[in-house]
Amino acid sequence: MSAGSSSVGATVPQTATTSAHLFEARDVSAHYGRVHALKPTSLHVGRGELVTVLGPNGAGKTTLMRALTRLMPREGSLFFEGRDVSALKTHELARLGIIMVQEGRGLFGQMTVRENLSVGGFTRPHEDEKLETVFTLFPRLKERVDQISSSLSGGEQQMLAIGRALMADPKVLMLDEPSLGLAPKVATEILETLGELNRRGLGILLVEQKAPLALKLARRVYILTLGRVAAELPADQIGSHHDLARYYLN
Amino acid sequence: MLDATQILQSLVNGMGVGLIYGLVGIGFCVIYNASGIVNFAQGVFVMLGGMFTHTLLTRLGIPIILAAAIAIPLVAAAGVVVEFLIVRPMWNRGATLFAIILATLATQIMIERITILTLGDQPRTLNEFTAGGPLRIGGLAISYQIFWILGCGALLVGLLWLFFGRTRTGRALRACSQNREAAALLGVPVGRMLMIAFALSAALGAVAGILVTPTQYTAFNVGTPFGVYGFIAAIIGGFGSAGGALAGGILLGIFQALAIVTLGAGFKNVAALSMLLVVLLVFPNGLFAGLKGLLAGRSRSADAR
Ligand SMILES: Nc1ncnc2c1ncn2[C@@H]1O[C@H](COP(=O)(O)OP(=O)(O)OP(=O)(O)O)[C@@H](O)[C@H]1O
Ligand SMILES: [Mg+2]
Repeated sequence: MSAGSSSVGATVPQTATTSAHLFEARDVSAHYGRVHALKPTSLHVGRGELVTVLGPNGAGKTTLMRALTRLMPREGSLFFEGRDVSALKTHELARLGIIMVQEGRGLFGQMTVRENLSVGGFTRPHEDEKLETVFTLFPRLKERVDQISSSLSGGEQQMLAIGRALMADPKVLMLDEPSLGLAPKVATEILETLGELNRRGLGILLVEQKAPLALKLARRVYILTLGRVAAELPADQIGSHHDLARYYLN
Repeated sequence: MLDATQILQSLVNGMGVGLIYGLVGIGFCVIYNASGIVNFAQGVFVMLGGMFTHTLLTRLGIPIILAAAIAIPLVAAAGVVVEFLIVRPMWNRGATLFAIILATLATQIMIERITILTLGDQPRTLNEFTAGGPLRIGGLAISYQIFWILGCGALLVGLLWLFFGRTRTGRALRACSQNREAAALLGVPVGRMLMIAFALSAALGAVAGILVTPTQYTAFNVGTPFGVYGFIAAIIGGFGSAGGALAGGILLGIFQALAIVTLGAGFKNVAALSMLLVVLLVFPNGLFAGLKGLLAGRSRSADAR
């Protein structure tokens, strides 16, 4: 399990105030009261890179994502495009282009598809152009623009959550278990779309529990267990780790 | 005995004052939706609207429309001050909603005291916006002010509808009310939205206060009854729904007016509170959600048959 688990923190002096990566977290940790749910964790996403975080139920994946986007208090530092953004609030991070699709999608349930997308573009101009891009990617949303979002199917809801995030012009898109609760076919469709977005240059941090497909798309994988990164390895090497392959690939 | 004219008269008067309750109720909903806070200082905005307008009118001798146009932003600014000085610091320190709500109650009392010290404790009133009247139709006497209330109230409701449905900020406010975290993750400055909610809701209270003062009076302490009736209107409407609060306010106003002509003015409060209790006992989620549920239940049982 030690393969590549050395984090960047080990090679960069602790005092470093910049980062060469698109997005980098150094020793980020978080608590629920006295429960240390996320031990100091370091990870990064390079430009145009799709990185997957895998971990079983309760490993701390959601905690990690919430700590990164500062939906909860956290310690440690965060860098984006070389700049220290540790002190920024959630909405300020979003303005920079750090956008997360929450676990459970976080739709505005009583608003229509169009209104959800429009709030996605809250900080950005050129709403109409971006709407077209989203509709090309997810034609099913276009057919349902005036439908109340809570009445969409699970797959459509996830498409809306991703479409809405795209309206916010992400530079790094974080997704917390986007395939949760979806039929395998729909999950595949959605993950393939993420792959396509990544090929167009979008940096993606994808959290999944078990996802062979997420591993095919990813270049690198972090394995999270018990609130810490237990391993970091190239995605194509996961098959050569017998224990990991057994858990994550089937 | 109650005749048709009296009933009609109560309907008209009740609708006028009920619209005022509805506006105050919407003010409650706007802040509640943006934050979960029930702002018990809502009534003082109504009071300040009337008091500021009266003061501007008498000290500067300007026309009432102008005085109102200056008073409304002033009261909105007072709303922002309450948010900035009291709510935000508590919010940022992670105070419970309960503590913040208590603080708004304290704010209400404090603003009332400041008003006594600065503007005095004497009741005062405004002239009706249009002199003359009342308009007599058969036995009915309708004060011109009622038309101002109904007209401005309807205009305001229309503007609110456009604001919440069509503007970027209005939609963002609704988004915050449905999922604050998701809104923040999309770049919506949730803190600033709360400030906008306070400004908007204070302005609504001010308009209500300015419109209603010519039909009665204003003084440092009128905030409490208007706050309470607006709160009841919002609860009848299923706290949080602006349309529900408006309808709840109108129902409450009419019910009160009918109680006054049948039982006497002393029953104004009794009527309002018994309406609240009945609605809460029968439909804990508000009258309209309750009725909807009943209808749905009936059609379900009809299907089953
Ligand atoms: N609000 C909370 N209060 C206390 N403990 C919490 C809270 N939320 C999560 N935890 C705990 O923190 C740990 C990590 O939870 P987290 O939700 O981050 O896991 P996860 O990896 O996202 O799991 P899943 O795959 O089920 O979504 C768990 O042990 C959980 O019980
Ligand atoms: Mg999770």
